[in-house]
Amino acid sequence: MENQKFYYDYKIVKQFLMATVVWGIIAIIVGLLIALQLAFPVFNLDLEFTSFGRLRPLHTNAVIFAFIGNAIFAGVYYSLQRLLKTRMYSDKLSAINFWGWQLVIILAAITLVLGITTSKEYAELEWPIDILIAGIWIVYGWNMIATILIRRVQHIYAAIWWYLATFLGIAMLHVVNSFALPVSLFKSYSVYAGAQDAVVQWWYGHNAVAFFLTTPFLGLMYYYLPKAVNRPIYSYKLSIIHFWSLIFLYMWAGPHHLLYQALPEWAQALGTTFSIMLIAPSWGGMINGFLTLRGAWDKVRDSAALKFFVVALTAYGMATFEGPMMSLKNVNEITHFTDWTIGHVHIAGMGWNAGLVFGMLYWLVPLIFNTKIYSTKLANAHFWIATLGILVYAIPLYWAAVTQWLMWRDYTPEGYLTYPNFLETLSQIIPMYVARIFGGTLFVIGFIIMLFNFYKTIKSGQSEDNVAAEAPMLVPIGPRNPDRETVHRWIERKGVIFSIIAFFVLAVGGAVEIIPMVFVKSNIPTIDTVTPYTPLELEGRDIYVSEGCYVCHSQVVRPFRYETDRYGEYSKIGEFVYDHPYQWGSRRIGPDLARAGVVTGPMFKSAAWHYSHFMDPQKMNVQSTMPKYPWFATKEVNLEGTPAKIRAMQKLGVPYPEGYDQQAVEDLKSQGSEIAANLNSSGIEVSPTSQMVAMIAYLHKLGRDISQPLAEEAVPMELAPVTLPVGQADFDAAKENYLKICAACHGPEGNGIPPAFPSLVDEEWLHGNKPEEIVRSISEGYPLKGMVGYKNQLSGSQINQLASYILNVLNQ
Amino acid sequence: MTTENDKHIERGHEFSDHREHAMEEHNYDGIQELDNPPPQWIMFIFYLTIGISILYGAYYFWIGIGADQHQEYDKAIEAARMKQDSSQPAAPLDLLSDEASLSEGKTIYAEMNCAACHGIEGEGNAIGPNLIDEFWIHGCSFTDVFNIIKNGEPLKGMTPFKGQLSDEKIQKVASYVLVTMKGYSPSSTKEAQGEKCP
Repeated sequence: MENQKFYYDYKIVKQFLMATVVWGIIAIIVGLLIALQLAFPVFNLDLEFTSFGRLRPLHTNAVIFAFIGNAIFAGVYYSLQRLLKTRMYSDKLSAINFWGWQLVIILAAITLVLGITTSKEYAELEWPIDILIAGIWIVYGWNMIATILIRRVQHIYAAIWWYLATFLGIAMLHVVNSFALPVSLFKSYSVYAGAQDAVVQWWYGHNAVAFFLTTPFLGLMYYYLPKAVNRPIYSYKLSIIHFWSLIFLYMWAGPHHLLYQALPEWAQALGTTFSIMLIAPSWGGMINGFLTLRGAWDKVRDSAALKFFVVALTAYGMATFEGPMMSLKNVNEITHFTDWTIGHVHIAGMGWNAGLVFGMLYWLVPLIFNTKIYSTKLANAHFWIATLGILVYAIPLYWAAVTQWLMWRDYTPEGYLTYPNFLETLSQIIPMYVARIFGGTLFVIGFIIMLFNFYKTIKSGQSEDNVAAEAPMLVPIGPRNPDRETVHRWIERKGVIFSIIAFFVLAVGGAVEIIPMVFVKSNIPTIDTVTPYTPLELEGRDIYVSEGCYVCHSQVVRPFRYETDRYGEYSKIGEFVYDHPYQWGSRRIGPDLARAGVVTGPMFKSAAWHYSHFMDPQKMNVQSTMPKYPWFATKEVNLEGTPAKIRAMQKLGVPYPEGYDQQAVEDLKSQGSEIAANLNSSGIEVSPTSQMVAMIAYLHKLGRDISQPLAEEAVPMELAPVTLPVGQADFDAAKENYLKICAACHGPEGNGIPPAFPSLVDEEWLHGNKPEEIVRSISEGYPLKGMVGYKNQLSGSQINQLASYILNVLNQ
Repeated sequence: MTTENDKHIERGHEFSDHREHAMEEHNYDGIQELDNPPPQWIMFIFYLTIGISILYGAYYFWIGIGADQHQEYDKAIEAARMKQDSSQPAAPLDLLSDEASLSEGKTIYAEMNCAACHGIEGEGNAIGPNLIDEFWIHGCSFTDVFNIIKNGEPLKGMTPFKGQLSDEKIQKVASYVLVTMKGYSPSSTKEAQGEKCP
């Protein structure tokens, strides 16, 4: 058969390579800056644009989407053409992909620094940029699939399966997670609220890790590792098994980011179990990589590229074992909200992702520029400095995590928290933060050495934009011959069918978890006393989102004694139904704020305290690392935007009265005046519509609602008479529940613990002793006074049995 | 213009194990694939983790013997309460004046960051009143000071410390405020607030 002549497009590859290294160095220097900020708050520079809350999303987005994103495109555009023996389908689409992606990055950098953010981690960009991203991503997928259709080889190689799964997975995740109702060009509200938003966000967040940082890199590994070492892939069968199992299982694992939080138990259990099942499929890639290196380890000694591949595979294997372990509830208790997670993602990010990119670059750059690497010595130096940097970065953070967690949970013999002041637990780990800066610095130095090496290499070489190649035209084989071809082998030559199957395999996990959370009411039990935010509180909330407060402050108290003692009552699912978007956060560099508004709780602070603290946290406590927010006192809330925000919330189902948007600004001003007057009594002058007042209003709302009196408590309810069961069996059953639930406060014999917990055996009754009154006390509770309502935990007949037991057994 | 040849294709591979075979028609830009089965141990781990997951579901849901997070919490609270009951001290609380207690009181004052609102030397600031003059908002007896630290007055800005500090620690910090602080003379003091102490 006659060979066809064609040209590979190397120009697009070179463009993406250039973007990779340029954004890469910027992204990690921003990382170094925010590491400095955590240890030395002076590096916040006292500017709103450079505070940690704004720069941390810039670092994560820049590393993931700018550095690693461009590296993926570079790696894919080179290998895809060669694996399919054809030029990319369209140069125009390639160019749109390249320039569009760079535009997204620039817009992201500008908007994040300006505080324009949705606050959804790794999806912080506002809706116009989200739409742009979706468009560029579709262009990329279109170009890739069209290239697959015009290929000159029969079968699609394993690397490309991973590229396809990446395209499909990210498209699905990005679109579903970004659903939001725009309020203005720069502001939108997530259509999901509270626990639903959390589930969607971490389905996205976890799978952004999977489908942006894992699957494309496995694809790159399947191409660049065997090429660089010149060995065959160890096992084709393993490729198939771990590909399908990984893309199916990954999508389920998101809820492991929400363990012990305000989420139904079934969703948490799916997060744990699917993470455990991911160990083997994840390791499949590592094993196939390492076994491909068999018999070629002598080459590893001489090649910086191969050394980086080895570190990448090792880091991948470590991180994908560590991840499932962190998904176990009792391990997660330690790793969540501490620096463990930060250490974990940097092992993966610096080792697996950056390591693989470095390896790829050291192999690809000299090849494309038809030369040898300028200095193998410098390349090796980069390898050792970077590897050392990873260790010096991660080990202190693991240490910091365990230290801080042990301090959080430590009790004195008298039963009080040993370190009730959160700041003590942070000050303790600052030395580890300093050590981490050294690790990061080493990594940056290594990167700069690589840049110099590439500069010299490129200068000494020559490259072409179009490289000639030839291959015979593809003659389709036709239908599958069952004797000669397995089913999998057959779909490997059917790109579209392959993609459709992959799409459905990917969709299952998200569908099973998200659809019930959105549509099944019992998953979100509502709480009657939880009310929507007032306009001023809502504006304050938007400032909280914009400043990235969630980066350091969580808003969800887990049901651990040491958390409820420190912060207050643990968080309930129904508390967050008006939270578009949710603000639970994922790391506590500062204390949790879920109960900042509970006046009688340990977290409540007066308006004057908040004012002074925002103005200068270090003046309040020299050890504090929080940035200063003096502009809150001078910047005003944009009142023109408030009615539109209320209308948007109404559209999302928040029950403001009809036409409330017209009333909102007036209410906002009157609530603001109250707070301003309160501050004024402490000698503080501030405008009632300033950002400061809005922030204080919001913080004073947090977590308050569940300790508000129930409506029934103010007006005694007309209670229907109840006849209580008096059988011995009823008493026995009731006694069991009594000992399990009631005895903790009222004592096993009903004697109570005076004065807080009343006796049930005397003749004094706070809320009446008619059967229906006792039943009402048990089922509804008196939350303000400390009595919990049990209607969601006990059935009606169980409550009747309990009431009977209290009246007829204990009280006799 | 250069044509790039794939040197690898023709060269072939030396396999360390003779039973291995490169698969026919599996050649992609020079990359071949072997027909090795996946290592048995990784398949074993795979099946094992699936089994563990099924048992996990059974334990928490189908059989339902595992405690959910709220039951776990209730148990922990109950255990802590049992422990605390047996360790309740009954010593009467009164003003302390020994050096050790006062210096411990000073440490607690610093650790709990009282200075944020009351100043390092008790001089007070925009948030909290001074602690060194004769005027007191909530009373100046030892019991008054003890109680305001313990129970707070959150709406006026005073945090209740009862969940965070034991009675003994509150006793020490109250003593520090009433005994040691009297001797401080900060450069500037917030204006007097409250009633003059009898």
